[in-house]
Amino acid sequence: MRLLLVEDDTLLGDGIRAGLTLAAYAVDWVEDGKMALLALADHRYDACVLDLGLPGKDGLTVLREMRSRGDQTPVLLLTARDTAEDKIAGLDHGADDYLTKPFDLGELQARIRALLRRAGGKAQPLLEHRGVSLDPASKRVSYQGRDVPLSGREYALLHALISQPTHIRSRSQLEESLYAWGDEAGSNTVEVYIHHLRKKFGADFIRTVRGLGYQLADGDA
Amino acid sequence: MKPAITSRRVHSLRWRLLAAIGAIVLTTWLLTGWFSYTKAQHEAEELMDGSLAQTARLLLAITHDNEDDLADIVARLETVRGTEDNIYEPPLEFQIGLGDGSILARSPDAPELPILGVADYSDIIRHDAAWRVLNRVSEDGRYRVQVAQAIGLRDRAALEVAVQTVLPLILIVPVLILFIYLSIRRTLRPLEQLADEVAARSPDNLAPLASRRVPTEAQPLLNAINRLFRRVERTLDNERRFTADAAHELRTPLAALKVQTQVARLSGDSPVREHALQQIEVGVDRAGRLVEQLLRLARLDPLNQPPHTVPVDLGRLVNEAVAALPERDRIVLPATSAVVLGDPDLLQIALRNLIDNALRYTAPDRTVEIVIDSGVDNCALTVNDHGPGVPESMLARLGERFFRGQPGKTEGNGLGLAIVARIAELHAARLRLANRPQGGLSVSLQNLRPTAG
Repeated sequence: MRLLLVEDDTLLGDGIRAGLTLAAYAVDWVEDGKMALLALADHRYDACVLDLGLPGKDGLTVLREMRSRGDQTPVLLLTARDTAEDKIAGLDHGADDYLTKPFDLGELQARIRALLRRAGGKAQPLLEHRGVSLDPASKRVSYQGRDVPLSGREYALLHALISQPTHIRSRSQLEESLYAWGDEAGSNTVEVYIHHLRKKFGADFIRTVRGLGYQLADGDA
Repeated sequence: MKPAITSRRVHSLRWRLLAAIGAIVLTTWLLTGWFSYTKAQHEAEELMDGSLAQTARLLLAITHDNEDDLADIVARLETVRGTEDNIYEPPLEFQIGLGDGSILARSPDAPELPILGVADYSDIIRHDAAWRVLNRVSEDGRYRVQVAQAIGLRDRAALEVAVQTVLPLILIVPVLILFIYLSIRRTLRPLEQLADEVAARSPDNLAPLASRRVPTEAQPLLNAINRLFRRVERTLDNERRFTADAAHELRTPLAALKVQTQVARLSGDSPVREHALQQIEVGVDRAGRLVEQLLRLARLDPLNQPPHTVPVDLGRLVNEAVAALPERDRIVLPATSAVVLGDPDLLQIALRNLIDNALRYTAPDRTVEIVIDSGVDNCALTVNDHGPGVPESMLARLGERFFRGQPGKTEGNGLGLAIVARIAELHAARLRLANRPQGGLSVSLQNLRPTAG
C-alpha cells in the first residue's frame, strides 16, 4: 500500500513518514501543494494524508483540484484548526476523513486503514481469500487458522493483492505499492516476494496473468 | 430611578431644545406683556392729559363772567362727571377759584389741594390715592382752575390694553410648544432609529451604518462611527488570523513531538528510534523558541513606547550582538557608527533577529553585512544578506505574525520579523524590506532618532 504524505512541517512530516513506514506502508512525502498535485498525477496512491495549512497552494485547493480532475484517491486531512466550519469545508471539498493536530499515531494509522478498507468496498476489517486472512489493524496474517509470520515487504505485497483479489496488478504497480521514492528496488524483487508468498500459501494462491501481472482470483472465483 | 431620568432629560437633545424654546417663548410673551402695558400706560397718560387740559380750558371759559352763577353750573356739571367704573369716561374732579387762591366752587370728591400750585401737570398722592392734577390760570389772571383724575384708573386702562394683547398668546403658547415638541421629535427620529439599529446589532456585525435619512449635522458622527467600525473590523480580522495561525503554529510542533515520541516507542529498530529521539530534541528546542518569541511579543504588545529611552551607540550594539555569535566570521561589521535614542535591550533583540534571519537564508560560505547610516535627523541600521531574496508580492507581508516568506524548510516560526516590526513601531522607526539588485534581502530599521549633537 502506497501513501502520499503532504506536510510542510519538517519535523511532523518526518514523524508521520516514520510512523506509517513502521506500519508497512510505502510513504512518499512532499512539502507543498504543487508537488502533491504532480505526485498524484504521476503515481497511483492508495490514500493521501494532506495537511490543510500548506504554503502556496493550501490543502483545500489541492483537494479541490484533485477532485475536479477526477482523482478518487481517499484523502485524510490533517488540520490545526478545530472549528466546525473548517471540518465541514474540508469534508465538503472532498476529503474522506480529518484529524486535528496534535493526534495519536495509532489513530492516524487506524483511520488510514478505515479509508483503505472503504476504498476497497469492504466494511469488514478482516481481508480474506481462500483461507488466508489479513488483519490490517494488527498486521497479522493467518492461513487455515494458524498465524503465518511475514516480512514487511511480503505483508505489503499480500495486502495489495488481497484488497481486491480479482484485480490484476502489474509488476510495476506492485513495485509502487512496495517502495517509496528513494527506496532501492532490485529488478526482480516483486518476483522474489511472490515466490515467498506462494511457498507459504500454496503455489496456486497467486495466479500469473501472462503479459499483465498477478491476481489472486479470476472474476468468478 | 428618578435622578437617572432627570439626568437623561438634562442630556436629551429633545428636552434641552424644548426647554430652551419654551423659555424663549415664555420670555417673549412676558416682555410683550410688559411692553404693551407700559406703552398703553403712556398712551393713556397722554390721552388723559389731553382731556384734563381740554376740561380745564372749558371750565375757565365757562367761569369767565359767570362768577355769580357758579354754584348752579357746578351742580349741573355733576350730571356729566362720569363714573368710577368706566375708565374711558372717568369722573371729573375740579376746583374753581380766583387769582388770589380763594375757592369759588369745587366738585364734591375733588382732592383738597391749594389751588395756587404751579400752572402745570403734577402727580400728587393724597389720602392714599394718587392724582393727576392740572392747574390753569385764565389769561387775564382773574380765575384759576384745578382739574384732577385718579391715576389708578389710568393704570387700570393700561392693564386692560396689555391683557388684551397678551391673552391670545396664553392660548397659543401651549399649542406652539406642542407643535415644537412634535417637530423636534420628528427631526430626531432618524437618530433614534440609528441608535436602535446599533443597539439591535450583534457584536460581530460591523457592517457600516446606512447614511440615508440621517440629518446632515449627524453625518460626521455617523462617518466617525463607520470609520471606527472599519478599524475594529480590521483589528478583529487580524486577531482572527493570528488565532488561526497561532493554532497552526502551536499545534503542529506538538503533533510532531507526539508522533515522533510514538515512533520512538513503537520502533524496535534502533536507528529509527535514535532518529526519532533526535527529532524530538529538535522539536522541543523549536517549541521553546516559539514560546520565547510569543512571550516576547506578548510583552511588547501592551507598550506604547520603549521602556527606557537612552542614547544607544549602534556600533557597540552591533559589536556586542556579533561577538556572541558562532558565525561571527561571516559577518561584515559596519564602517561607521551612530548614537541614537532608544531602548538598548529592545534594539539588541531586533538586531539579533535580523542577523539570525540573514544568516538563516544565506549560504554558509557567504557573508552578511551590517551597515549603519547616520544622518542629521535620522539614522538607519541595515542588515544585508546574500540569500534568495523574497518575491515582491510577499515583501509587504513579511512583518506579519506567523507569516513566513520561505515556508517549510527553515526553522523560522514567522515571529522574528514581527517582533522587529513591533520594536520599530515603538521607536517610531520604520522597518523597510527590499530585495537588493545584486541579490539577497536588505532589511533596515529606518528613521531612528539620533541624539542631538
